[in-house]
Amino acid sequence: MSLEGKLALVTGSGRGIGRAIALELASQGSDIIVNFFRRREAAEQTAKEIEATGVQAEVIKANVGDPAKIDEMFDTISSKFGHLDIFISNAASGVGRSIMDLDVKAWNWTMDINVRAFLLSAQRAAKLMEGRSGKIVSISSLGSFLVWPTYAAVGVSKAALEALTRYLAIELAPKGICVNAVAASAVETEALKFYIKEGFMTDTRQATPVGRMVAPEDVANVVAFLCSEEAFMIRGQVIIVDGGTSVAPFVMPKED
Amino acid sequence: MSVEEQIRDIVANIVHVDKTAITRQGTFKDWKADSLDIVQAMVAVEDAFDIEIPDEEAQKFQNFGDFVDYVESHAAKKEGQ
Repeated sequence: MSLEGKLALVTGSGRGIGRAIALELASQGSDIIVNFFRRREAAEQTAKEIEATGVQAEVIKANVGDPAKIDEMFDTISSKFGHLDIFISNAASGVGRSIMDLDVKAWNWTMDINVRAFLLSAQRAAKLMEGRSGKIVSISSLGSFLVWPTYAAVGVSKAALEALTRYLAIELAPKGICVNAVAASAVETEALKFYIKEGFMTDTRQATPVGRMVAPEDVANVVAFLCSEEAFMIRGQVIIVDGGTSVAPFVMPKED
Repeated sequence: MSVEEQIRDIVANIVHVDKTAITRQGTFKDWKADSLDIVQAMVAVEDAFDIEIPDEEAQKFQNFGDFVDYVESHAAKKEGQ
């Protein structure tokens, strides 16, 4: 696999899964646009690490929850580069509440960042990919079909994201653009450590058949594959990266 | 407009209270703001002043005055760079 000479935009790539994806694509030769919203220092650090691999990095601040900021980001990409080969829709947010506590504001916040941003960005990205066999990958979650406590808004947004991925895959196929999604179970990132209750990490490790949680790099490897020509015939699919959790939801007895 | 006035405008707009209700001693709890309101206020202020407010710092704010002081000192540092 080689992505030499390609240009990739990874939203939310200052930290966590997005950072791992950006670094993996860079290691395969792609120039990277690092999008961030709140943590410039982290984004600039990611850009430095990208440049150390010998490719170019560009840092662009944009709140993908705001359609005007999405437009500004793509205007910048359009005027500076004039094209795009890979678009990874990774930036996400969400409100962790039970369904009975979800109000319009919490719902819209989650949907705007997790779904609407993908629609608006994919529309702009597709125009920059004309004639370039573009690749689009959205980052989803097992919560799109499994029920987790207080995950309703995010889970529903991820289900919508996956549906949008399928529709985009079919509509953009004649334009030579591959669209797929990667859905991970809980990924061991700083963000997860901040939001989850103590003990969850240990429980999740024990409940994952391979014996460890999903790392950002596990997701990045699959994303990079979906960005390669080897994945040409995979369209509109959701590839699950979960160490077997979803097919074995009960803790497996340990062998002596 | 001072930094404090700008932050007051942003917060008032998000928590839907009159600006006069946002005193230096006031808290998000006083204005019946929920966790998302607080996140939105932090994000809007970070964006307006091009600074970062780490979550662990935000948790230390006792009231609106602390919030303003933090932004003033960090926005000033940014100006001085």
